[in-house]
Amino acid sequence: MTRTHHLHPFTALTAAVGAAVVTTAAASWPLSAAVAVAAAILAVRGGVAGRVLSAAAVILVPLCLSLLVLHGLFFPEGHTVLAEWGPARVTAEGLEFALELGTRTTACVLVFLLFSFTVSVPDLLSALAARRIPPQFGFVLASTLTLLPAVAGRLDRIRQAQEARGMVVRGGLLSRMGTLRLQMVPLVLALMDDAGSRAQALDARGFGNAGPRTSYRDVADSTAQRRFRAAALVLTAAAVVARLVVSWPAGVTR
Amino acid sequence: MTAATRTALRASIGSFTFHGENRPALGSAALSVTPGALTAVLGGSGSGKSTLGKLLAGWLRAGHSGEFRGSLELDGTRLEFQGAPDDPRLNPAEWSRRVAYVPQDAAAMLSTVRATVAEELAFGLENRATPRAAMLRAVERTAARVGLSGLLDRDPATLSGGELRRLAVGCAVIAEPDILILDEPLASLDGAGAAQIEALIRGLCGAGTGVVLLSQAADRLAGEATHWTVLVGGVVTAEGTPAQLAGSAELERSGVLVPVVGGRGGEPDTGDRETGVLEGGAQKTGAQKDGVAAPGPGAGTHGAVAPVMAGLELNGVSFCYGGDSRRRVGPQPVLVLQNVNLTVRPGEIVAVTGANGTGKSTLLRHFNGLLRPAAGEVRVCGRNITGVPVGTVAASVGLLFQHPRDQLFERTVLRETLFGLRELFGKAGAEGKARAALAAVGLSAAAETVHPAELPSSQQRLLALATVLAREPAVLALDEPTVGLDRTGLEHLGRAVKAAAARGTAVVMVTHDLAYARATAHRILQLDAGNLREI
Amino acid sequence: MSKPALTVPAPGQAAGRSRRLLEIAGAAAIAATYVFLVLTQPADIANGPASFSALVALGGFLLGAVLLIIAVLPVLPTSTLVLIPVALVLNVVLGQLMGSTGLPFYIDAIGTVLIGVLAGPAAGAATGALSSIVWSFFNPTVLPFAAGAALIGFLAGMAARWGLFRRFYFVPIAGFVTGIIAGVISAPIAAFVFGGTSGLGTGAIVSAFRAMGDTLLAAITKQALISDPMDKAIVFTIAALLAYALPRRTTFQFPFVRRFRVLAGKSPAAPDA
Repeated sequence: MTRTHHLHPFTALTAAVGAAVVTTAAASWPLSAAVAVAAAILAVRGGVAGRVLSAAAVILVPLCLSLLVLHGLFFPEGHTVLAEWGPARVTAEGLEFALELGTRTTACVLVFLLFSFTVSVPDLLSALAARRIPPQFGFVLASTLTLLPAVAGRLDRIRQAQEARGMVVRGGLLSRMGTLRLQMVPLVLALMDDAGSRAQALDARGFGNAGPRTSYRDVADSTAQRRFRAAALVLTAAAVVARLVVSWPAGVTR
Repeated sequence: MTAATRTALRASIGSFTFHGENRPALGSAALSVTPGALTAVLGGSGSGKSTLGKLLAGWLRAGHSGEFRGSLELDGTRLEFQGAPDDPRLNPAEWSRRVAYVPQDAAAMLSTVRATVAEELAFGLENRATPRAAMLRAVERTAARVGLSGLLDRDPATLSGGELRRLAVGCAVIAEPDILILDEPLASLDGAGAAQIEALIRGLCGAGTGVVLLSQAADRLAGEATHWTVLVGGVVTAEGTPAQLAGSAELERSGVLVPVVGGRGGEPDTGDRETGVLEGGAQKTGAQKDGVAAPGPGAGTHGAVAPVMAGLELNGVSFCYGGDSRRRVGPQPVLVLQNVNLTVRPGEIVAVTGANGTGKSTLLRHFNGLLRPAAGEVRVCGRNITGVPVGTVAASVGLLFQHPRDQLFERTVLRETLFGLRELFGKAGAEGKARAALAAVGLSAAAETVHPAELPSSQQRLLALATVLAREPAVLALDEPTVGLDRTGLEHLGRAVKAAAARGTAVVMVTHDLAYARATAHRILQLDAGNLREI
Repeated sequence: MSKPALTVPAPGQAAGRSRRLLEIAGAAAIAATYVFLVLTQPADIANGPASFSALVALGGFLLGAVLLIIAVLPVLPTSTLVLIPVALVLNVVLGQLMGSTGLPFYIDAIGTVLIGVLAGPAAGAATGALSSIVWSFFNPTVLPFAAGAALIGFLAGMAARWGLFRRFYFVPIAGFVTGIIAGVISAPIAAFVFGGTSGLGTGAIVSAFRAMGDTLLAAITKQALISDPMDKAIVFTIAALLAYALPRRTTFQFPFVRRFRVLAGKSPAAPDA
């Protein structure tokens, strides 16, 4: 936990992007699996294993199942038929393809989730601002993270208020859609109203200013981290170039 | 000397009309602000105070937010607006740095993207590229000024209402504005919170800032102002010193709340401020008699019909948060209600008071089943509501929430009131009931044309009240109904509640405005440590 | 005189031109990537998991999305910018609410379409792309679809600009067409980056086309043509209903709505839903 906090947000981000790109470029399932396992271990050591793994499971389980069924049973390009029922053919190539893509996506998802669940968002914003990334980008990111939990609470309040006005949620699809519309209108209206006054407040506080900004929050960086980032970027670029060079003729001629 | 008499801001408003609207939100109005002086703009709900404040401070800008005719003059720079495309365009950042505005909803001032109070304070300085060292000093100085020094590392989302208001003021004053416009700075603060803001305002005036107070109550703070401007329907109807205007017909007509000695406090939502409570406490018996005497007839007629079934009955109700979901992490469940017994007869008005966070709203939510008791039972018109869906109980129990906006969702005021009435009264009866309910709260004129969201907040609450009244519930439960209401609103509320009680509705209102409770209710109960007791 | 001025000059045209060039470059990057991928798609994906195509698809589409964001974001008025987080939250929350009705659609772009309708194509595109980038904080698999999301916001804005939201019956048609275009553009991402789609319903449709011998890209494109237009027709309809339900003061604060009479004549045509 403390270790990740000492990491500059860009170091973590570079590492995550580098790992994901190299994994994609390498296209080798043992490497993908190794990256996924490494990410999981880091998540455990960072104390975020529960959140990372549960979020990853929600994304990955349906995707991997879908891949397994799709390529495991229907892979017209496959030659080595293992089993066959009517139109469905289980082929070794199909299963390998599903394995390749499944592990690759798993690795990338875990790496990025590890980054987003360990990074300190205020530090990230401050670092982005220091690099003269438009402050609007950081605003959208941070404001969304603030709004999400607030909206859940607001939706609950709206539902209570409407039930108190005699709204009964019935089973039928049309009735549920109707109820939904009635809940959405106050939610959207309230959110847009709040956004309107927030825009006025932000403009008043100089958010719309062009030109340089300073940052109150000080994000620690170090030469070692800078060197690591440069090396990671070079490695990532090399992996991409290598893959493009190796596969380019194949890609075009086929 | 010269600084004190010089005019810093002078506004002369011909009209301001929001885009998409036909009627101007502001008509002819003029205002001058001098450094170091407190100026008050008084007006009822919907009088255009907030629009005026935002226009003066560059929150609403000509062309951008609406069509503005008139002029703004700041420290010798005069800008004329004709409502034409080549009008001058305000630089909001620079204008607002010098004329700052703090909205009534303090949370709207916050950027939502800063993790601590200190960073939130610094947000405006960051955007103006203030060097970090100067920023650190300014944050420290401002925090001390608004009394937030101990809270600099807190997440703004965890602040209390009073702390949030002080943070919003801090965000405005950190840029050292010449003029500070405060919109209802005391609304929904308790006595201690209000006193801190009042002291802060005095300090700012003393330091040479011109402060403009926008308020719907001519309360103690407004009384300290050197100049009052009375706003009605976006037009200035009177101005002068407090002494000239106090008790004048113009102020009377404006719907501004005027505190009455020994009666209701100036701010209905801060009724537990010292004066009101002490006065009321001394005259407790008298006030109680008065309270019963006025709405008495309604209760009396019902009392005469021998054994009346209780409209609402709570038998041994206990409730604790977290009791039903044991897996949730946190401290052990807190008992909010403890063996509460309450019987409200038809036609009776009962007020429940208690400090913030004692569970008044929790109690109210038991009446229609939004919350279910851990032990005990709730009976409405003699029927136990256990297991009955909230939407069904709602036919007999009307609940008015603190935030009326959440309860409104239709496109016109009439449609809003009509919602769900056809099932109760048939197509023919529904419209009559809806119009009668709207008439009872004084909203008939708005029925067909106005979108509920475009009503001022005071009238939104009255509309929400109308939607509840139109269903003619046996039990009417009101959660802090007086908060944010101006005098006209309070009168409509009072009349509507009395009329409902006279029809035989059992009324329970939760309020921390003890004076209002005394004036309206037959009985006052205090909720304290989970127990209800009569006072 | 060193103090910043109390007024600002009217926005000039010169700055707009370089922005426009960036926008065009972004759109061109997306279009070129798509064409390249379709022309060079590996006929025999059995030889490897399309790593080359995956990199090209990711690189090209993300480059396009980022160029669009760079072009639009700094000139977006704050009043529109603050709506992007709102749109994103609406995408997620309304998507979940709709999911609770049991309809077999994703319905995950209501907020994006709403912003496109109220604030115009450029804002819609930025909203779509930013939504994907921010949402990838919680679900990294949506990041590669940023270009498709930008396209949906852009097309919603164009539909509004052409007055299709003035008449309620045009709205689902506009959504349908948007769904076709966005679905086709996004198919290579699903095919080359993920190798398929998430979810049982869409997976079954892709499987059926694969069983008939289609290439993966063709199968996923056909699947997208089946589910996306319907999905976007629903999304556009819901967004339109929400826009009609908003008070005039809220909708008319947007210069885009005022200038192009986006919602004019809304009251007679708006049904009760």
